Amino acid sequence: MARVIGLDKFVRLIQIIRHNGGIFKSLRALYLREELKIGTLVGEDKYGNRYYENNEYFIGRNRWIEYADHVRLEYDASQVPVEWYGWLHYKTDLPPHKDPNRPKYKWMLQEHEPNLSGTNKIYVPYSTTRPKIEAWKP
Amino acid sequence: MLRLPLVRATGLSSSRLGAVGLHTTGSKSQASQELVEVFIDDKPVQVPPGTTVLQAAAKAGVEIPRFCYHERLAVAGNCRMCLVEIEKQIKPVAACAMPVMKGWRVKTNSDLTRKAREGVMEFLLVNHPLDCPICDQGGECDLQDQSMAFGNDRSRFTDIEFSGKRAVEDKDIGPLIKTVMTRCIHCTRCIRFASEVAGLDDLGTTGRGNDMQVGTYVEKMFLSELSGNVIDLCPVGALTNKPYAFVARPWENRRTDSIDVLDAVGSNIVVSSRTGEVLRILPRVNEDVNEEWLSDKSRFACDGLKRQRIITPMIKIAGKLQSVAWEDALVTAAKALQTVAGNEGAVIAGKLADAEALIALKDLFNKLGSEVLATEQGFPKDGSGIDLRSSYLLNNTIAGIEEADVVLLIGTNPRYEAPLVNTRLRKGYLHGEQTIALIGPNIDLSYEYENLGDSIDIITKLKNGSHPFSATLKNAKKPLIILGAEQLTRKDGAKIVSETQALANTLGNNVQASEDWKVLNVLHTNASQVAALDLGYGSTIEDVKQQQPKVLFLLGADDANIKKEDFPNTFIIYLGSHGDQGATIADVVLAGAAYTEKTGSYVNTEGRAQQTGAALTPPGMARPDWKVIRALSEIAGHRLPYDNITEVRSRLEEVAPHIVRYGDVEPANFFAQAHELAKQTGGSFLPDPVDIKQKTLDQFFMTDVISRASPTMAKCVQAAIKQRQTEL
Amino acid sequence: MGSRILLRQCVKELRNNNKQWIERAIATNAQCNTNKLVDINKALEVPEAEQESTEKFLNPMEFDRQQQLKKYIAVSSQENIPIVTGIPEEHIKTRRVRIYQPPKNAMQSGTNNIHNWQIDYDTRERWENPLMGWTSSGDPLSNLKVEFATKEEAIAHCIKMQYEYEIQKPNRSQPKPRSYGENFSWNKRTRVSTK
Repeated sequence: MARVIGLDKFVRLIQIIRHNGGIFKSLRALYLREELKIGTLVGEDKYGNRYYENNEYFIGRNRWIEYADHVRLEYDASQVPVEWYGWLHYKTDLPPHKDPNRPKYKWMLQEHEPNLSGTNKIYVPYSTTRPKIEAWKP
Repeated sequence: MLRLPLVRATGLSSSRLGAVGLHTTGSKSQASQELVEVFIDDKPVQVPPGTTVLQAAAKAGVEIPRFCYHERLAVAGNCRMCLVEIEKQIKPVAACAMPVMKGWRVKTNSDLTRKAREGVMEFLLVNHPLDCPICDQGGECDLQDQSMAFGNDRSRFTDIEFSGKRAVEDKDIGPLIKTVMTRCIHCTRCIRFASEVAGLDDLGTTGRGNDMQVGTYVEKMFLSELSGNVIDLCPVGALTNKPYAFVARPWENRRTDSIDVLDAVGSNIVVSSRTGEVLRILPRVNEDVNEEWLSDKSRFACDGLKRQRIITPMIKIAGKLQSVAWEDALVTAAKALQTVAGNEGAVIAGKLADAEALIALKDLFNKLGSEVLATEQGFPKDGSGIDLRSSYLLNNTIAGIEEADVVLLIGTNPRYEAPLVNTRLRKGYLHGEQTIALIGPNIDLSYEYENLGDSIDIITKLKNGSHPFSATLKNAKKPLIILGAEQLTRKDGAKIVSETQALANTLGNNVQASEDWKVLNVLHTNASQVAALDLGYGSTIEDVKQQQPKVLFLLGADDANIKKEDFPNTFIIYLGSHGDQGATIADVVLAGAAYTEKTGSYVNTEGRAQQTGAALTPPGMARPDWKVIRALSEIAGHRLPYDNITEVRSRLEEVAPHIVRYGDVEPANFFAQAHELAKQTGGSFLPDPVDIKQKTLDQFFMTDVISRASPTMAKCVQAAIKQRQTEL
Repeated sequence: MGSRILLRQCVKELRNNNKQWIERAIATNAQCNTNKLVDINKALEVPEAEQESTEKFLNPMEFDRQQQLKKYIAVSSQENIPIVTGIPEEHIKTRRVRIYQPPKNAMQSGTNNIHNWQIDYDTRERWENPLMGWTSSGDPLSNLKVEFATKEEAIAHCIKMQYEYEIQKPNRSQPKPRSYGENFSWNKRTRVSTK
């Protein structure tokens, strides 16, 4: 009956909002990520990003990341550390803290470096060709 | 034709007159002779008797493939690529060497012809390396093209023994020509060029058959002022351009037709450029000027266009030149010009100045009231001076030189001053049995000549008939006097001109040639000289020094004679493309364009107006010279009334209409009047012997700012000096 | 429709006197239009239905225009092509065009590619692209060379396009013919010493 009149959708909405911690927090999550989801928290990485999984969603949408709160809208995919990258992209089903056989490389310890586009530290390409004309120096 | 050996045998042979007389009459009778009809691929062609099959085919529009044959060299007939079938003849004949007979039916595309070509090509390719991908000739290789067009698609050559193909050691023949002798197909074009045109019997073949090699036999460099032409002549990549090696492919180059300005000949060139730099310079056919050749300086000095360039305007601040913006430089220069009244301003125009810049500068200084407009190369003002063009042009045209029978060179070394004039003289010497005499020091002119001594009064002796050579000169049917422009800067330059004019006048009476044969010729070395004189630049550096001007404008003038000591209180403005002598002493340096970067008009030594083409744009902040002068005039308050090149040229046309008639010679006249005026010049000869600046090859390579900035030319000078020392 | 196409094909073949087709043509006709023996020549004269119908439905003004287009269009001798072509005015007014015959490549002996006339434009600034070091240009005509069979055609083109042009004098190669015998003449300076 509830299905028929669409009440289950409403119940689901209430569940999602509750899961996200109330109306205002839900609105904030919606503002940041443009979607509201329910999922189990699988783990959290060193930067404070949280990883969720909910197999009710189809593959491709069943694992996701909620970026650390302090980055707000300034998140991008490069902030995912290497350990979690594999899990997030279905390379492995075991998250890093549950996988004892993970190799540890030196380069994995590298700190995340934010994208510098738009700042004054932006990369500017320069000509690598030698100058064609040699100027006269008096 | 049969008469020739007979007459020669009867004792007339020692006199060049007989030979030349016969030569001319021979060609006349040939023209009047009946034409022979031959059929090239069933197409009838009428040709004079003695024409080769290859030339007859060319007349019919059929191009027969060839490697060894070259129109301007002797016929060798050794590559066999031009084999064609002739009806009713069993064997194919070499088209380049076989004169046609009446009614011959030549088949240039028959089975026999094709088979012959394919066979020749197969043999050539058997001994030719497959290194087209790394060969500098790739893309403009005759062997490549002709093997595509006329070769077979397979070869019977299989190296079963894996013994490798024939290989030849590379030779070191100097800093200009790179040799990969394995690629040589023994066409002997380079050998023939060296011995015929360059007059240097250095190259030859050694060995026979598979062991044949082209080279110098002993370790020696092939150093000549024309050596670069063997690169063009080589149909394969055996001789390639050393500075250009592995630089570019021909199809990626941009080709711009232009004019060479490093000597006064005005050779036609094609400037090959890519990515904003001139990579190489090739000659362009102009039958009247350079035929198909180019001197080494013109060809290889192009890397000087990339060095020592003035790319920003500069001002001398605290005794040191510093780069500034155009506004600052122009304002500084204009302020100096505004203080000038009358002849307090002076101009010295350099070697490479174009007519557009010359006229703009002349207009500007005339507006300022100055008439002290000098050229680097001085010219005596006495007598007719520069008023009559006949006294400063190579009146008889460059092509006319080879027709002369007696040539008198006065104080000039055409071999290094104008190498392509020298090829004409050598051509006349070889084919026209020319007699050549020289007043000047003993030099190597690449042909035999009579040295009359280095005293300048020999001219008077020749005129009076008291010199042994004057008889030869008086009997000449087409005598020619070539006076080196260098002699005119002597203190007695006016006397030299007037005496030479007098000598030419006496010889002129005996001339047995057409009306427009001109005996008196002046050979210039500076490309801008004739245009400057035509436009009315009438002063010399000495005049300027005497004047002690307040402001001196150097238009690319880098002559060693212009020193700061001579102008202690003068404000010097330099406009040019290269930092050299002139820019160092300047207070303001304005950045101008080199000849490959502007469309400029030049008049060569024979009075032929030609224009350069802009292959590139001037580097950095540099601008075409006339535009700089135009901008300067506006700031100085004497605005010049032209804004684009068309308007400048219409101004040129007002002053000297011939300068914009490109490609044509504007002949000079008034020889008699010039002579009359010259008679009034008094003075006497100085006792100094006639001297020539460029006597040896090492003095040839570096004569102007561009060639002085060129590392290739520096290498050439070193090589030439080294070669001379080892020969001693 | 199908039968008509077939019919037309048959007629075409008929004209080529293909007897084999005649029978088939008649047979198909008989099948489609019973008892109506269509004159084959008449079938050809059947006007195209589509053409007729479109003209009918045109409005009178458009119809007039269509009719006029069928006639010759009179053009004044002074055409102002540049306005129509959409070439920016800058590239019409400020360009200098050079009409010339391409020179022979000095490195090669072939002359087959130089028997035409070309036009090219004055050199505008090119610069080195900082990314790759390649050459950039802001000039759309920088790489344009237009070939013509004759000089007159090239001039006519320039006049039509209202270009300012100049004609470069062609340099023709006319060397004096040489003979093989010169190499061996015992009393001339042309005798060959080296080989």
